[in-house]
Parts: sequence; structure tokens; C-alpha cells
Amino acid sequence: MDRIRGLSHLIYFSFIPLFCGLIYTQLFQYYRYRRLSNLNSIRVIDLDIPRGTIFDRNGRVLVKDRPCFNLCFVPFDLRNPQTASSILAPVINIPKQKTESAFRKDYPNPFEQQWLKRDLNQKEVAFVEEKAKQLSGIFIQVGLKRDYKLGEKAAHLLGYLGEVSPEELKKKLKAERIKAGDLVGKEGIEKVFDSLLKGTRGGIRVEVDARGHKVRTLGKKESSPGNNIILTINRSIQKSIAENLGGYRGSVVVMDPRNGEILGLVSKPSFDPDDISSCLTHPGRPFFNRAIKGCYPPGSIYKIITELSALEKGVITPSDKLECKGELEVAEGERIRLFHCWIDRKTDEYKQHGWIDINTALPQSCNIFFGQVGLMVGARRLLNYGKRFGLGTPTGIDLPGEKAGSIPPPQLSGGALNLSIGQGALLVTPTQLASLIATIANGGNIWQPEVIKDIVDPTGNEILSFTPHLRGSIFIPEENLSLLREGLYNVVEQGTGKNSKVPGLTICGKTGTAQIAKAELELPTHGAFICYAPRENPTISLCVFLDTASSAEAALIAGRILKDIFFPEENEEKKD
Amino acid sequence: MKRKKIDWLLLLLTILLVFIGITLIYSASCGIKTELSNLASRQTVWMAIGIFFLFLFIALPYRNLRKASYFLYLFSLLLLLLVLLIGKGRAGSSRWLILKGFYFQPSEFSKLIFILVAARYLTDVGKKLKRFGFLIPYFLLSGIPFLLILKQPNLGTALVLLPIALGMLWAAGIRKKHLIFLIILGFLSLPILWFTVLKEYQRARLLVFINPNADPLGSGYNIIQSRIAIGSGGLFGKGFLQGTQSHLAFLPEYHTDFIFCVLAEEWGFIGGMVLLFLYSLFLKSLIRAATTASEPFGRLVATGIAVMFASHIFINIGMTLGMLPVAGLPLPFLSYGGSSLLTFLIAVGIVLNIRKSKTIF
Repeated sequence: MDRIRGLSHLIYFSFIPLFCGLIYTQLFQYYRYRRLSNLNSIRVIDLDIPRGTIFDRNGRVLVKDRPCFNLCFVPFDLRNPQTASSILAPVINIPKQKTESAFRKDYPNPFEQQWLKRDLNQKEVAFVEEKAKQLSGIFIQVGLKRDYKLGEKAAHLLGYLGEVSPEELKKKLKAERIKAGDLVGKEGIEKVFDSLLKGTRGGIRVEVDARGHKVRTLGKKESSPGNNIILTINRSIQKSIAENLGGYRGSVVVMDPRNGEILGLVSKPSFDPDDISSCLTHPGRPFFNRAIKGCYPPGSIYKIITELSALEKGVITPSDKLECKGELEVAEGERIRLFHCWIDRKTDEYKQHGWIDINTALPQSCNIFFGQVGLMVGARRLLNYGKRFGLGTPTGIDLPGEKAGSIPPPQLSGGALNLSIGQGALLVTPTQLASLIATIANGGNIWQPEVIKDIVDPTGNEILSFTPHLRGSIFIPEENLSLLREGLYNVVEQGTGKNSKVPGLTICGKTGTAQIAKAELELPTHGAFICYAPRENPTISLCVFLDTASSAEAALIAGRILKDIFFPEENEEKKD
Repeated sequence: MKRKKIDWLLLLLTILLVFIGITLIYSASCGIKTELSNLASRQTVWMAIGIFFLFLFIALPYRNLRKASYFLYLFSLLLLLLVLLIGKGRAGSSRWLILKGFYFQPSEFSKLIFILVAARYLTDVGKKLKRFGFLIPYFLLSGIPFLLILKQPNLGTALVLLPIALGMLWAAGIRKKHLIFLIILGFLSLPILWFTVLKEYQRARLLVFINPNADPLGSGYNIIQSRIAIGSGGLFGKGFLQGTQSHLAFLPEYHTDFIFCVLAEEWGFIGGMVLLFLYSLFLKSLIRAATTASEPFGRLVATGIAVMFASHIFINIGMTLGMLPVAGLPLPFLSYGGSSLLTFLIAVGIVLNIRKSKTIF
């Protein structure tokens, strides 16, 4: 009993500090708190979340944060949304209705700042400062803007930032303290490595006046920077590709055949990472990364597979000759099908190669020769050989949304004849083709294409390091390989890939022209060219794939890129 | 068995406090156009359910609770485990179980169940409690729910278990030197707790308590806003619904852990004093139930419940005044929250039952 009484005294005693606390806060400090409350004057302003810098393989900046001025408002402090929006409309280039509805929207927390426009220019800043008196609750806050040094030349690779979508918000809000209006990576590296690039948010606590404008800063929490990423990309190569691809629709992938590192990757048409909205209506699907998402028939490039599988099966030897009369009659069930060689644009007739062996057939890309060989090999083997090169499965590149292409089952493939020249139901991505030619170049190693070299934290410590990763390998007998390489060399020296020739450089390549619809001569074709160089000790492999162009144009572009890579002009380098 | 009358004062005080709470919740959430706008009516529903249970526990002889205590205890541990496995919550914590759309917070009930099981153990042990060895099972009984709740993480609720456990030990007749030894041991284990069990954000909260400006965005902001709300209330307050600081917009937790700010801002120092007075009358009734209880189990349960209420009141108001670190803990009967209101009302039901039963064993 006594003990419970003792305890009860302790309990009553515990009320004394509360009593004193109330006296102190409500009576002694009353005027101070009353003032703060009357002004309703304390706001917490979130700062932008800093993101890490992305460098190319030589430490040159590809994208970096830079300070900017954002136009923000605190809904609670808005006095006359209508006047404010009409004052702002002409200068900041946002329709009055849009601004006004942003002002009038119901926000869950009216004290939280919202963004009206990011990255104001000098003129806009000056204007807002000047009109500050009429703009209650609207103010300029220093923020961060991503500065994409290569602009649309590396847009698919790096991606862009956009306001977090409601779905992303649901997923991320909890774990990453993301709020509506925050910017997150939407494509490319920015998206895949969003959580690593992102630093932590800082904020300031400010005292504001009756107009909601800052009087003084009461406290600040510094934001801390995110991690930096070093890519395998070479900025000069990336730039050269984008420039040489020019106005074509298509993509280029440049890879180091020795380890799978991607040196450059461009898809066109591209978009401007600083001005997403204007690209949304572009008819050419600029946000579609053709290099990894575009699925195309490989066309004559597949003859590489046909040749290797034929040599391996032994259905043909280097000295065997077959006749090309420009067309071939093939029995398909009941029907007789006429199978053609390709059309010579000069004479507008089907090409007749006469009696040729494999050494001439590849450079001439003779359909009749490879069609007959393909029939001897059989559809199943042609498909399986392609699979062994990693076609039909995603390469595993660190970019979002990579497609697998497709290697169909033999009964749905369209037959050996079509497959042998890369038609039929085969679909591959340009990145897969770059990987295919890299495998030929290095003699059988299938590397996983990598775009990331290192991820380092702000103090320079390595967090993640990406080492070359072998996806698989394929054994190609030496004599078959050298026969194929000889053929690929002749493609460039005297065959269909002549356009890619670069003086002083030995290039092995193969053209591919794929018809979108079978035998429809009027329709445009896909034009592709894959190659590696130099022949003896390959350091570069690349794939140029054009949506609607000839393979000769693709070869021309490839040649120009190779020239830039191997013989860079000196003034070009200085500009960077 | 001779029956005594119901302690009407305690019952009236309880209902009065719940009504004050609903008024404050209404005020805190008025003018908000989100899903939070009908908080007051939801709390009224919880009050109805809670009062039903209160009377149920008055009717039910409380000795049944003694029999069921170990079973209830195991059941509560199971629920706490479930919370850790499948619980829902915000900001990286998981506190709620969702049952057919009802959110319910097992840690609230587990406090009350701990009181029952502790009273059962202490009465079973009886005089042998003087020997230190009999304290060890008691540590386990209190330690397991403590750690499970801390892991959620719910620092406030876990910490409330400590004064309850110690208060009941004291009332059960632990040796003074044992108690002092325990308290010293507790202080020595603080650093271990700090580095192993506490989450980053909990450590931050404790550090912010020392310097609110260190984190103007997080809990430092809460403390500053809460003090402005209370301080600006002054002597008489701003009047019902006239609070400007303590409405949901400023602080998302005004209707729960910071409900006292609404009272202090709108009803001023006078309001705060009246509340403290009501609370002290309420606690006095609880202690009276403990001192007049006819047998040890009832006495210990009533003591435990009194300590539970007192700790909640002290920690919560101390926190809003910036005198204690921010540790999410509801203010009895006033804070919004079904599970806590239900727990508090059941606790009052049990005490009323103890008070009216004059049992001769």
C-alpha cells in the first residue's frame, strides 16, 4: 500500500514539469510565439535533389547539374491567383488558364511549395523580381538543372528527367522520400541508375513576410550529392555517330569487340532532353530507342550465319561452285516459287552472278548461292546457329526496355530459303547485330554489351565496378573463321560494302538489305551495315541500321564513323 | 462476495475526456478537403465501440483475465510478430494490421495485456520476488514485447513498457537494492540500444531534440511548429476552431500525437490547466482503485494501468512542449486512433471492475 502511495506521489509530481512548461510556453513566451503565429511566417522550402555527374570513359562530362532559377509558389500564400496568372502569362510562356488552375488546385498540404516553371532565364527572373509586390506567394528559388552537354546526340543513352508520375510516386514515395513534383530519371541511364545518381534532399526553413516572400533563413539542411557514373561511352565517338547519321531514321551501335564495352549508341530521330514537350508530337517516335528496341529482319547480314553453319555441317567446301542465274525455281509444296537474287539498281534487273564459290558469293551477297546453301543446311540449323550467337535473347545492356528480337520455331520461320538470306520471321535488334559482328571479330566470345564502367560516390570511392561479362562463347573452327573474315574483307574491298572503305584502314563488314514486305519492289527497305576494324587486330565493331534507306548508305555512314574514330581530325578534338 | 458501486466519477471523467478529444479532432481537421475530413465522426464510432467494451469489461469478473492472461499474452506476441511480417505503415515502419479494412495496431493492446500477464506472474511468485532469480522470467515477459515493438519501430510505445514494468515491480514489493541495480543496468544498456536497435530516424529525432534547427524539415519542424501553436494560445486561447497553427496543413500528426497543441492553442493556458486537472482527478481514481483493491492481482493491474496512463500523459505533453524527444505516443482519450482509444477504454473498464469487486479470497 505504501509503495502504491509512493508511486502515486511520483505520478502527481510528474505533472509539475508539464505545468511549468505550459506556464513558460504560454505565458512567458506568449508574445514571441503569438508574433510567429500571427505572421504565420515559417515555411519550409525543399531544395532540388542533386544528382551525380555522368562522365564518358575519358572523364569528359556528359551530363551535370548546374544551378538554375525555378519559379515556385506556396498555395497558402497566394492572394489573387487571377491577377498573378495574368501578370505572369506573357513572360513565362505558360497559358494563363494553366497557371490559374495550378494556383486554384487543392493541395493536400497548402504550405508545401509547388513548381510553376523550372530554369527561368535572366529576363524572366528580372521580371518576377520586379513584379514581386503583386505576386504574393510566388517566388524564385535556386534549383538544379540537368545540363546535357551533348543534347539530343546522347538523349537515348542518358535519358532525361521528368516529374514523377503518380504510379512511380506510389512505388517510390515510401522508400526514397520522393514527393509530387520531384524530378526522376525517365529513360536511359538516368532511369536505370536513378536511385544511385540521386543525392539526398536538403531544405531551408525561412521566415516569410505577409506576401510569402523570404525575410530571412532560419535554418538550412544541406543537400548531399549523389553518386557519379563513368560510362564506357567515348564522347567523341558518340558525337561523330550522331553527326554522321544526320537526318536518317535509324541507329548506330559502336562496340569494343574485345570486351563488349559500348563506345557510342545513337538512335534517330532523337529528342531534346531539355525540351521534352516539343518532341512529344513528333511523328518519327523520337523516344523510341531503335538501337535496343527496334526489331528488324537482319537481311543479308544473316548470310554470315548461313555460311558458318554450312561450313560447319560440311554441305559446302570453299572450292564448291553454284550457279546464279538471277532466279531460282523452288518447289514449295504444290507450288513452284521463283526466288530472286537482288536487284541491281543500275540496270534495274536481277543480278546474275554465274558460277560462283563462297569467296565471291559473300562479297556479292548472292541470294541464289546462299539460298541453295541454306536449303542444304535446313531451317532448324540456321535458326539454332543464330541462337548460339545470342540472337533472339536480350543482350543484357544496362538500358531500359531492351527487346529480345525473335528467333521463331522452325515451322513458323518461313523456311530455310528465306532464313538463309535473313528474311522470314527473324527479328533482331541493332545491338544484337553489333554483338554478332563483335563475336566474329574476336573469334567467338559473346560479350554482354556494357555502357557503365564505374559508379563512384561523391568522395571518389568506387561503389560498383563493371567488368566485362562473357555471356557465352561459340566455337568456330579456325579455317571457317578465316574464310568468313576473308569474305567480309572482300565485302568492303570489292563487294556490296565498298562505300565504307577508309584509306589506310582494313575493314571487314557485311551489308544487309531487308525488305519490309516480301517482293514489293516499291516499298522502301531497311539498310544495314555491320563491320569491324582493323582486320588484323579488331578494336571497333559497329552496326549501322537505317529504317528506310539502302545498305550502301549504311555502309557510307559506317565508313565515315570509322574514319572519325581512327583518324580523328585534330581540330575536332580541341573543340571538346 | 460483496459488490460495491461503480466509480461514477471515473466513468464520467473518461467520457468527458473522450468528448473533448472528438471536439479537438474536429477542430484539427476542419477545413481540410481530403479523406481526413471525417476524422471526428470516425472517432465517434470508435468511441461507441470502446464504450461497449468498457461496459463489457465491467460486467466480466476480472479474475477471468487473470486466468486468460498467459493465453492473451501469447496471442499478443503472435500479433506483434505478424505486424513485423505483414504489417503496414509509413516512413519505413510497420505498425498496423489490416483486417477487413480496419486498421488495427496490436502494440496498443499489447501494453494492456502485458499489465495483465505481469500482474499474474508477480502474484504467482508472491513473496519469492525478494529473490533476484525470480526477476529473470519477468524480464523475459517484458523484454519480448518491448523488443518486438521497438523493431516495428515504435519507440514511444516500447518505452512506455518500461515505467509500467518497473512500477508494477515496485508495487509488488521488489527489494529496493534490486530496483536500483536494475535502473543502473538500464542506463548502462542505453548505448547498446542506441547503436543496435534504434533506427537512423529515431536517432535523428533524439538528436534533433537537443537542437531543433538541425533538421528543419523533419522532426525539428514538428517541435518548432508545436511550440508556436501552444505558445500562441496564451492565457485564454484563440477560441474553438480559431487555431491557425495546429491544423492539419502544418503538421500531419496534429490529430494524433500532437492533439494537445490544438487544445493549448484554442483554449489557452486555462484549457491546458483544466485538462491537467481532469487528468489528475482521473489518475487519482485509478490509484484509489489500486489502493482499495481487495487482492494483489487487482491491485497490481490497477497500478499498472495507472502508470500506463500517467506515462502517456507525461511523455505526450512533454513532447509537444519540446521538453522530451518526439516519440509517437497518443494522448489518452484525446488523440485520434481506434486501437489506442479502445485500449484505454478497456483499461478503464477493467479498473472500474476492480473497484466495484470487493472480493474475499
